[in-house]
Amino acid sequence: MKSQALQELVKKIFGDDKTRLQFESNPGSVLARFSLTEQEKKAVLATHAKLGLVTTGSQQLEAAINPTANWHAPRP
Amino acid sequence: MLPGRSVKRHFIRYQERQAQLLRDEIDALLVPLCDSASLCDLAQEPLTKARRGLAKGTARDLPWPSLALIVCEAISGHYERALPAAAALQLFMAAGDVFDDIEDADSSDSLSARYGSAVATNVATTLLILAEKALTRLSETGVADSVIVRIMDSVNSFYTTACAGQHLDLSLAPDMAVSEEAYLRVISMKSASQVECACYIGALLATTDQELIDKFAIFGQNLGMAAQITNDIQGITHSSDIVKRNITLPVIYALTQADERARNQLELAFRRPSESVLDTAQIRDLLFHIGAIHYATVKMQLYKQRALDILSEAERAGAIVERLKPFLE
Repeated sequence: MKSQALQELVKKIFGDDKTRLQFESNPGSVLARFSLTEQEKKAVLATHAKLGLVTTGSQQLEAAINPTANWHAPRP
Repeated sequence: MLPGRSVKRHFIRYQERQAQLLRDEIDALLVPLCDSASLCDLAQEPLTKARRGLAKGTARDLPWPSLALIVCEAISGHYERALPAAAALQLFMAAGDVFDDIEDADSSDSLSARYGSAVATNVATTLLILAEKALTRLSETGVADSVIVRIMDSVNSFYTTACAGQHLDLSLAPDMAVSEEAYLRVISMKSASQVECACYIGALLATTDQELIDKFAIFGQNLGMAAQITNDIQGITHSSDIVKRNITLPVIYALTQADERARNQLELAFRRPSESVLDTAQIRDLLFHIGAIHYATVKMQLYKQRALDILSEAERAGAIVERLKPFLE
């Protein structure tokens, strides 16, 4: 799964204050500037709706990943 | 009582029942080891470790081998016939854990650290043989010989892929220049393939509908990827991968996307031995600041969505998938 557009989007949001503000107020307008797949757009929006921008460890983040963590994936 | 709480309690009882039946199945397999009490004790150790599914009193501790049971039940309404297969996967997992500890040599409470690599290798080999033996017990649950042969072949194929993934991982580590594509390939082969295997054989034991079997395999692959990326995120938030200097998805993102200053800091931090001037908390904060955890969280969400999408397709084909959905929400 190649993710160049997704990488560019996250880089831009975290590296450019103007884009970050724009994304926080109207994520769709920022997404439109990147050639993301529909699934990638959906994943970005779902993550944003659940967690906003993930800038620090939080109970919210733990709560969001715990259901999958409970499957106990094979060890890395 | 709130309906939600009642459903949760019911699900916990369901998990406890499954874990008990799995323990019984594995206990029966360990009987031939009773003549060598110490080997029996050592073999049980990795099986009953916390977070590996069979430790008592850990109802939320649902390991991925249980997927074989849940998928079998989702299709056929029953899971009992899949118990020997789930037991086999549990034994393969325990063997893999012991081998991993020998290879990584980074855990002071591992069997290899406490008893030496020769004893640990023998325990892991015993667990592998018991896993193969577990599969032959499928005949006792009424599974046709032809299906058992197919299951053995499938399990061995999936685990050959997992071993190839492990080899690739050992060959790449600790290469900081690893690409995201290469990394995703490694975790797909070494981790997600095992979750895929559990779902595939659970389905194979429930139906002859190959299309449905394949859907559950794809579900397992995507769930496995999501679960592995979850581990990667926790490896940073809990700092374990920073301490061990493991190059995981958030680190790969950071090493390729960060500005030069941050990249230099991270290269020093993840070098073995580390030459970082930053402490663990500072490295973690830097990864958050760059957006590496956000990026990994979006990727995890992407795999979860794919798993949910294919689960919906399985549902439309008649499977009852309610017990699988909560882990993806």
